[in-house]
Amino acid sequence: MSTSVSEPQATQAIRIADVCKSYGDYPVLKNINAEVARGEVVVICGPSGSGKSTLIRTVNRLEEINSGGISFEGQDIHAPMRGSELNKLRSSIGFVFQSFNLFPHLSVVENVSMSPIRVKGIAANVAHDKALKLLDRVGLADKANSYPGQLSGGQQQRVAIARALAMEPPVMLFDEPTSALDPEMVGEVLSVMKSLAADGMTMLCVTHEMGFARDVADRIWFIDAGEILETAPPEDFFKNPRHPRAQRFLADLRH
Amino acid sequence: MIHDFITIIQDYWLLLLIGQYPNGPLGGLANTLILSALAIAFAFPVSILMALARLSKWWFLRWPMTALVYVTRGVPLLMLILWCYFVIPLWTGADVPSFLIMLVTLVIYQGAFLSEVVRAGIVSLGQGQMDAARALGHGYMGAMRFVILPQALYNMIPSMISTFVSTIKDTTLGYVINVPDLTFAASQVNNQLLTQPFQVFLILAVVYYILCWSLTFVANSVERRIARRRAGPRNVRLPAEAAPLKTITEQL
Repeated sequence: MSTSVSEPQATQAIRIADVCKSYGDYPVLKNINAEVARGEVVVICGPSGSGKSTLIRTVNRLEEINSGGISFEGQDIHAPMRGSELNKLRSSIGFVFQSFNLFPHLSVVENVSMSPIRVKGIAANVAHDKALKLLDRVGLADKANSYPGQLSGGQQQRVAIARALAMEPPVMLFDEPTSALDPEMVGEVLSVMKSLAADGMTMLCVTHEMGFARDVADRIWFIDAGEILETAPPEDFFKNPRHPRAQRFLADLRH
Repeated sequence: MIHDFITIIQDYWLLLLIGQYPNGPLGGLANTLILSALAIAFAFPVSILMALARLSKWWFLRWPMTALVYVTRGVPLLMLILWCYFVIPLWTGADVPSFLIMLVTLVIYQGAFLSEVVRAGIVSLGQGQMDAARALGHGYMGAMRFVILPQALYNMIPSMISTFVSTIKDTTLGYVINVPDLTFAASQVNNQLLTQPFQVFLILAVVYYILCWSLTFVANSVERRIARRRAGPRNVRLPAEAAPLKTITEQL
């Protein structure tokens, strides 16, 4: 770990430096170097099995890495640290999963308010009011007392976004947030994400929604076989992809 | 025939209910109930700790606990009882009452079985719930307490009830080390009457059946109430949801 990822950088929210990871002999991430500036929306795209999800899961250390470093607001996430420190760091990185992972034994409003209460120690009534506001923001105020099992996929994912926002993270990570949804529910989730981006949230999104990438992203990272092959603003990436693999990927998408 | 039952119950109900008490130790049904309740009350938290130890990333917790669970599950309860009965006084040098020995044995034995149930409940939730909790900043124990265990234990209610019911049944084995429980009282009655073993032990069976069945009944209604709360006022899918538990627990 010779990389100096811990240096505070004024404009960077996330800095990924020389990150390598392998499962046994199989390399999943090969020397990844990339940065996300504050307020930037980055979309990671690439074919299946290219390491997109693994990469985004290393950013809040749900996956460990073999070498390199990832700094979040100047702090090295993968440095040896006490569990409580890591929990604190994680609580300031919002994460939205492909499979929602709502807590089915809690009502919607409890899902959103539980972690502020238990992790941050916020008073229950304050957290509850805040949760209702967030649910209103994602258009689900009327579902506050429902249970996740009673909601559609799109509604569940919007609750999951509200749950992540409840911790007031400066950065949000999205791991294929619409991939498990029926087509008619994709739009409602994307529009919540768009409104977040419009509010200046720093976002790192793995997604196959190229329309979203084109409209909302400031930059695209194209990743294949564990390597970032191209980073470009969406207009460049979609009109003139430089890397042959990216050209092939986009050609396959248009079919 | 019916007359025999009534006579036995009329003559011996107090012995069957509380044993020799107050002239001797508390026994009979009262003791069976106390032993069962204590065994379940202790085995439950013990089993959660055992399950967490078995799932621990630290080998010094995982290995000994795995060994303990495997050995306990692979040995007949009667053997374990006799073993504790002879070994614990040797170790402690004290005159440990047989009730206490029976309680400790039951807690270890049922704790081991229950820990496998709890472990299965935790594992079957999958990684997603733990990931979600960790991503929100919960520590391992916080995630367990607020996210994993409430779901795992709820899902495992049917299996836990069967373990609780077998705990009640297993208290009868205390007979071999002279724990003055209901079985012990019944055999005293039988020794006095000598000619009516069928009637005496049928009474015993009926009492145990009522005991075990009412535990199952209570558990069923608790589970249904939770299911109703979760389903909310609009979703009334209850009968279908409650049915599987019933089919499982009634096969005991």
